[in-house]
This record gives sequence, C-alpha cells and structure tokens, in this order.
Amino acid sequence: MSVVNYGTREITCKIVYYGPGRSGKTTNLQHVYSQLPEERKGKMVSLATETDRTLFFDFLPLDLGTISGFATRFQLYTVPGQVYYAATRKLVLQGVDGVVFVADSQSRQLAENIESLQDLHANLADEGLDPRTIPLVMQYNKRDLPAAEISSVDALDEILNFRGVPHYSAAAISGKGVFETLRSISTLVLARLSAPAAKGS
Amino acid sequence: MAKKPEKQAEEESGEFADFLADVSKEIAQRVESLDKRATPAATEKKKTPIVADAGIIVEWPNVADRMIEEIR
Repeated sequence: MSVVNYGTREITCKIVYYGPGRSGKTTNLQHVYSQLPEERKGKMVSLATETDRTLFFDFLPLDLGTISGFATRFQLYTVPGQVYYAATRKLVLQGVDGVVFVADSQSRQLAENIESLQDLHANLADEGLDPRTIPLVMQYNKRDLPAAEISSVDALDEILNFRGVPHYSAAAISGKGVFETLRSISTLVLARLSAPAAKGS
Repeated sequence: MAKKPEKQAEEESGEFADFLADVSKEIAQRVESLDKRATPAATEKKKTPIVADAGIIVEWPNVADRMIEEIR
C-alpha cells in the first residue's frame, strides 16, 4: 500500500492490530472510536459472533483531515485471533504499513502469544513483507489484572520482543495505553515516508 | 503549512486531539524533508544543456526531453 501519494496529495496508513484471541484488539479500536469527536466519527465496522468474538475483522477509518496539504487517513484493522481464521488474517495483512501486536499479559496465555507472533511472522513473509523491518509495536494488555495472574513486562518483553521494538503496558478496557500505542506505531509508519510516489503507486 | 492541523487539534480535546497534534507534527516534518529532497531533482531536469563550445550542444538527450516537454 502506498503511504504517501504526491499525485493525489494523500497519505494513507493501514495499521493492523494482531494478537491471540481475546487479547484486546477490538477493545483497542473501541476505545479509539469512543474518543473521536462526533464530527469525525465514521463507521466502525465490526462483525462479532454471539459471544462477542471477532468473526471476520474490525475496521475503523480515521480521517485526520488535511495535514500539510495532504488528505490524511489512517485505517485501523483487527484480525480474528482464533487459530482457525488464518485465511482472514492473511487477507487483512495485505498492504499493511504497520502492526500493533496486542499480547495478553496473563501467564496462562503465553503460549497463545508466542503462537500468534509466529503466525504473524509467517503471514507477513507470505505477503512479501520482512517481519524484521516492518513497523511494529508491542502492547502488553490486561495489566489491570491481579499481579499473580500476569507475567511481568520484562518477562513478556524478553520472550516476545526479540526485535526490541517499542512496547507499552495497557489496560485497553479502561483506555490505558491505547493512544500511546497508536501514537507510537503511527510515528514509526510515518518515519518510513521516504520517497514521493511517482504515479499513484 | 502545519498551522491548520494545529488549529484543528486545539479545537478538539482529549486523547484524540493529542494524537492528532503529534501526527500532524510528524507529517509536517516528513513532508518538509521530502519537499526539500524532491526540489533539486525537479530543477536539475530543467537545467540548460551544457555547451562545451559555442554552438555545440553536447547533451542531446536533455535537449530532446525539453523539446518534447515544450511541445506538450
């Protein structure tokens, strides 16, 4: 996906929230949506099952208006976390500019975090994207749970964050850490604005 | 050029406004640096052909490009 298009004076960034099922990806988007001023609220598209699990994906378009002469849009997506929705995750990753990996801090979810991270790397590689260089931010969610139930941030970082990318503690259900994470991934994505797109590419 | 988004951010409040202000600042910086890089290339293309000796044009491809551009 083109990040900056000089021809049409547009900047479009696609950010995907990735992670295991029930780690809080949709909750992140819901918090962002809840903070949008009324006049900026578009439609958040969310397809959930009866038990509130994301069935397909969530999509939140963020129209930031004209910035430095460029119409700027961020598109936030989540993927369904459950293992059997592999095809959907691949589809959502197409054209991604940056990834937020939402890890579940609960100790018993560590294996799921690792599995999801491996799945992310495999799917990025399938899309021709280098998992070692694509803008990535780690979010360790559910830090509001009792200390006995969650792994320490250092432990999570050591196991999951081998690239040493920025990481954030969060309790997305109350909004803590949500915008810090979004700001961080946005900065990383925008830092990759390097060359003007010649003809709409 | 970044004045407009700053104004927008001022008019809004809360976490989103902070986010918008930061993103606007980042984009303004990036666009500025890209413009700087893009400008020399653009001017270089329209440079007058180098004349080695009076009346002898040595860079025919450049001249041809300019002629085509002017015909357009």
